[in-house]
Amino acid sequence: MTVQQIIDGLINGDLPRAIEIFAPELILCAAIVLLLLVRMIFGVQRIPACWVALLGTLVAFTGVFAQFMYLKTDLSITGVADTPVEELAARLASAYHLTPEGVGSVGGFFTDLLMHDQFTLFFRLGLLLFVVLVIALTVLTGIPDNDDGPDFYTLLLGSTVGMMLAVGANNLLMIFLGIEMMSVPSYAMVGFLKGRRQSSEAALKYVVYGAGAAGVMLYGLSLIAGILGTLSLPELAGHFVTVMHGETFGPTNAAAVTLVLGIMMVLVGFAFKLSLVPFHFWCPDAFEGAAAEVGGFLSVASKAASFALLVRFLLAFSGPEEVLHGLRVFLGIGLAVIACLSMTLGNLAAYTQTNVKRLLAYSTIAHAGYMLMAVSALLIITDAPATEGWTRSQIFYQSARAVEGLMYYLAVYLFMNLVAFSVVAILRNETYSEEIDSYNGLVHQNPATKLLCLAMLMAMFSLVGLPPFGGFFAKLQIFTSVLYAADLHWSMWVLLAVAGANTVFSLVYYLRVLKAMFINPEPEERRAIQTPALVGTYIALIALPIFLLGASPLQSDLTDTANYVARTLFR
Amino acid sequence: MAETDRPTTNQFMSVEQYLETAESLKWLLTVAWLLPLLGFAVEIFGGYWGDRHNKVASYLAVGCIGTGFVCSLIALFTWGGATHWGHPEEAVAAAEHDHAHDEGHAHDDAHAHNDGHEHDEEHAHAEEHGPEHDDEHAHHVNDPYSAAFSGSYYMLGQFGDLTVSLDYYIDGLTIVMFCMVTLIATCIHVFAIGYMSDELTDDYEDHFVHLPGGKHFHRPGRFYRFFAYLSLFSFSMLGLVIAGNIFMVFVFWELVGVCSYLLIGFYVERKSASTAANKAFIMNRVGDFGFLIGLMILFTSFGTFRFANPHPTERAVEPGLFQMLRGEHGDLHIHGEGREAEVFLTTATGDHDKSIPYWLLVTAGLGIFAGCIGKSAQFPLQTWLPDAMEGPTPVSALVHSATMVAAGVYLAGRFYPMFTPEVLLVIAYVGCITLFIGATIAIVATDIKRVLAYSTISQLGYMMLALGVGGWVAGLFHLITHAFFKSLMFLCSGSVIHGCHHEQEMTRMGGLRKKMPITAYTMLVGVIAISGLAIPYLTFPFIGNIAFSGFYSKDEIVATALTHMSLNPVHFLLFLVPLVTAGITAFYMFRLWFMTFAGEPKDEHVYDHAHESPWVMTAPLLVLSFFAITVTWGMQIDEEGHLKPGYLVNALLTAEPAHVGEGLTEAGILGLSLPGHHAVHEYHATAGTAALIAAFAGLLISYLIYVNRAIDPAGIARQLSGTYNFLVEKWQFDNLYDAMFVRPVHIVARWPQAFDRNYLDGFLHALCRCAVWVSKWDRAFDERVVDRLVNLVGDVTFAVGRSLTVIQTGRLRQYVMFIAVGVVALFALMFVFMPTL
Repeated sequence: MTVQQIIDGLINGDLPRAIEIFAPELILCAAIVLLLLVRMIFGVQRIPACWVALLGTLVAFTGVFAQFMYLKTDLSITGVADTPVEELAARLASAYHLTPEGVGSVGGFFTDLLMHDQFTLFFRLGLLLFVVLVIALTVLTGIPDNDDGPDFYTLLLGSTVGMMLAVGANNLLMIFLGIEMMSVPSYAMVGFLKGRRQSSEAALKYVVYGAGAAGVMLYGLSLIAGILGTLSLPELAGHFVTVMHGETFGPTNAAAVTLVLGIMMVLVGFAFKLSLVPFHFWCPDAFEGAAAEVGGFLSVASKAASFALLVRFLLAFSGPEEVLHGLRVFLGIGLAVIACLSMTLGNLAAYTQTNVKRLLAYSTIAHAGYMLMAVSALLIITDAPATEGWTRSQIFYQSARAVEGLMYYLAVYLFMNLVAFSVVAILRNETYSEEIDSYNGLVHQNPATKLLCLAMLMAMFSLVGLPPFGGFFAKLQIFTSVLYAADLHWSMWVLLAVAGANTVFSLVYYLRVLKAMFINPEPEERRAIQTPALVGTYIALIALPIFLLGASPLQSDLTDTANYVARTLFR
Repeated sequence: MAETDRPTTNQFMSVEQYLETAESLKWLLTVAWLLPLLGFAVEIFGGYWGDRHNKVASYLAVGCIGTGFVCSLIALFTWGGATHWGHPEEAVAAAEHDHAHDEGHAHDDAHAHNDGHEHDEEHAHAEEHGPEHDDEHAHHVNDPYSAAFSGSYYMLGQFGDLTVSLDYYIDGLTIVMFCMVTLIATCIHVFAIGYMSDELTDDYEDHFVHLPGGKHFHRPGRFYRFFAYLSLFSFSMLGLVIAGNIFMVFVFWELVGVCSYLLIGFYVERKSASTAANKAFIMNRVGDFGFLIGLMILFTSFGTFRFANPHPTERAVEPGLFQMLRGEHGDLHIHGEGREAEVFLTTATGDHDKSIPYWLLVTAGLGIFAGCIGKSAQFPLQTWLPDAMEGPTPVSALVHSATMVAAGVYLAGRFYPMFTPEVLLVIAYVGCITLFIGATIAIVATDIKRVLAYSTISQLGYMMLALGVGGWVAGLFHLITHAFFKSLMFLCSGSVIHGCHHEQEMTRMGGLRKKMPITAYTMLVGVIAISGLAIPYLTFPFIGNIAFSGFYSKDEIVATALTHMSLNPVHFLLFLVPLVTAGITAFYMFRLWFMTFAGEPKDEHVYDHAHESPWVMTAPLLVLSFFAITVTWGMQIDEEGHLKPGYLVNALLTAEPAHVGEGLTEAGILGLSLPGHHAVHEYHATAGTAALIAAFAGLLISYLIYVNRAIDPAGIARQLSGTYNFLVEKWQFDNLYDAMFVRPVHIVARWPQAFDRNYLDGFLHALCRCAVWVSKWDRAFDERVVDRLVNLVGDVTFAVGRSLTVIQTGRLRQYVMFIAVGVVALFALMFVFMPTL
């Protein structure tokens, strides 16, 4: 396809539909421009940047919500709204001018550079929700200050646009573009606390490390593109089968080895974003140096986007052929090894930490490991050959369950990590410290701290995976998927055992924080901690879903939706 | 319409009306029954966490029981409307009128039914014997099930053929009891708000508990707890009344026992109170043992616990106990003679394929009656009731005079169809002995509450006697009237005790009527009512006779007893003793009033500090005294000395078992005859006059001794010192039981105790030493092996964690190098793991 053809196609047929689908991202871009303009024209005193950012994100969020509901309720097909939910969806759809030909038709857009389907929409929705919550948090905690606001929110929204591109990537180039676009603003955000030396150092480490990882990844992408002769994800599998000429997948096959090398190097790039061992070194330093709000954003948003991208990239190699199966099993085992390493190292290294943010950084490493288990199990299960004794419907069902587990885990993880980082941020504003010791006996001080401690308790218990909180059910579902995968490959048993042991390990350091809060005696003199009612409400509001997503009907609502989305991936 | 079946329209109402009434009665009484339980739950928990100073618990309790009373009252009127207050003729007339326009099949039935009556009516007219004969004829054919409603709330379980469930049985008696219990309970709850107000504190000083060092015991107030217990009791008592089977009765029987235990021991720190609570509980268990035996016999022989299963349209699908035992006219199907005698039972099929030996039926009756003896403090288990006065006075009024102790009488009445003439004779004699013992001890008692307690025993004896001699209505009638005037008197005594700062000895009172007029005169109402004083032969229009409720009920009892004596001259004591005791009753009741309220103050200190109680306490007195006078509204004695029954008696009459109305002749093994209604009427005038003379004699003697001082009571006590001491010592019952049971038990208990201590304990100690030894080893193993292993794992993981942080050097150079190292390591791994050809 020549460039001319691409431009022709873009202009002639694809553009209106693409714009319709791409509208939320465009809204975010408009918000960025507006942020900058507002400062130039009105100044930050009259129109605070946070409100512009919040408004832009909310509009984008409702837009994505409308798109998602438009697809989920089959409005594009039936056009009839029966239930109140469908009624709402129909109203939103008409407000955003959604059409059956545009948002209603699933498939690639912008000449197949990007993918439009339920999976993308689900992640875009989650990301925007999270960004709304993060902006609300920054408003409440007062970081950034008024003067730096436009800069900060520009970076935040820019990074978000990058993530939304990444979750929709349908092309090797877009993968790189997405990852870089979400990374570059985050480097600056880590170093945003300009006055602190630690912050600048963390940003520098993050940049250099990121640059190294990006280099390796780009090399990997070029290897893949070179050997398979295409950049388009859907074509990778077919080209690989052709290149192999019917030979078996193995270390003596040059094409196979080169391709595996390429994939692995791409995975290095992912591993950097996901802070997987052994590419996690930046993570504790960056989190410790950055503000807790930024830490919370990085730990959840970039991770969620990267996981979506990872799943889409790896599923590009799905297909019934024997060669592809060999490749997938190989990758699955490789990811399992990385998952084991990540969670073990993350959990054990967290033991001796005294800084809460550093501790949470290791916690995110461990959790990336848990979530990677789902991807590993997915690779083992997807398109397993009939010789393994599973029926096609079983394979379909279990593949969807694995993706569903990952999505559910991410949704719960969103709330529990946000609560943890929010509490850290709020207490930092009051005690000027992020050491665990500064939390001693906090629960005894006043009702506000009781609420904070209780929220922290819910978050920590959920992170450990104790019922009845969401973390338990999420972990349970991923473990279940691994258990089914163990039916297909023995290595999954090892993964399961390591993951089980790690859950026990993790108990220690999470409970250390809680022990400080609830059991340790209160220090003799401490400044009275005052928490505005609004902050308390915010914390209660984001802590509640941890419980609701675990032990209430909301859980089945969420998993049903996730399941619906996951099924569309394997259609 | 099969001739053998009951008509589809019973004597009171049509089928639709029956079903409608049944439904509304069921819900009204269920609400009245369950509300106090709700109150209890809220009070006991809310009070525990709440403030000791607020009165919310009491308002809640009053609200619950008050609403219960309103429900009961509505139920009473619903029932009265449906049954025309027990006048079936009016019902039939109304039905005739209605059905003149209605050609339904109910019309035929009503007509058929009416045809059946015409003969009776002619018969009644032929005799021309006054208005009461209409009633009489109605109750010759009394069908207690036509105004009764039963059903099941919830099945608890099924054991073989036996179904144990929560049933209800609602008839005139149930509803009257409901109204009585809820009304009196409401009054007493209100009274208790004032009486218990000194518990509204965080620091209650109990002057009756002496600690070493001359101090009194201090504790937080228990206001809420008292009302919670009262609510629980109300719930239990109402459950007992509404119960539709004998098993459920037993359950609530025990529940009221527990409440009684809790309330007697309310001041648990007082030794006397806790001992009295134990005594009450244990004495009741003795009676309940018999109750259990009765239950077992019923279970094995009848296979059902339900009383009766009235059904408006057909024969009971599953007949209850009464329906199985007795035929439509209340007759027993006895076959055989002497020990071989058997009673055939009617089962669901209508056949007599089940039977019970006659002696077993007698045993079952005696067993159930044993329970009644315990609960109603009858001879020989009467000793617990006076001690139960240790509880707060509202408790004595509610639990130990008006309701719980009357439950024994109620059950005897409810279970009447199951009693054979032999059992009835036992009941009569037990009642007779009890009423005499109670009355005689009351003469010498000086504690105001104890006089009332013995009076209660005596009056309960009267009720039992009435039931025993065949006066079913008389006994239950007296139950209701007694409940009103006795609770009134107890509350008055409570008011006196409250006003005199917890002084209970009458010897230190006197002249109090000037200080507390309301209490004094309401008390006088009660005293007159219980003594049965009246001016019966003066009849005023509208008001009727000048007579309080007690007069009528006592009159009924004495009349029935006299008739019984005329039929069975051997048992003449069953008439003479109650007659004499009627005089004694008047004597000791007026003695109480004169000693307390009349004359000169005996103790200046008590008199000076005495004061009238607040309105919250006196208002219930006024309400109760009103009912003590008027509860028999509508009763009248005409010029010829015949009694016209009022609303209350008519309501009770509808529930009267079928066989009572006509009486019995030469029944049972002993050949006893029981008087029917007709016979009692013949003797009514004679008995009434005799009882009235006895009562006035008692009043006169009392006046002479305690007001006029014509006779010196101390002198009499000196002259008859033997008798006097015998009475003061309560006929030596406590000493007798102590010698007969308590001490032997102590001696016997010492042997097992010695065995326990020397042998069993030794064995157990050896066993314990063994266990300790083993656990020592186990502990050593735990500490040295298991713990070390766990610690080792912990230490290792911690050390690994610490060492892992070592590579996190913070040097950028190394980090970048690690990217390279990582990639290379992954390559290496790849070649290790990649599937070989």
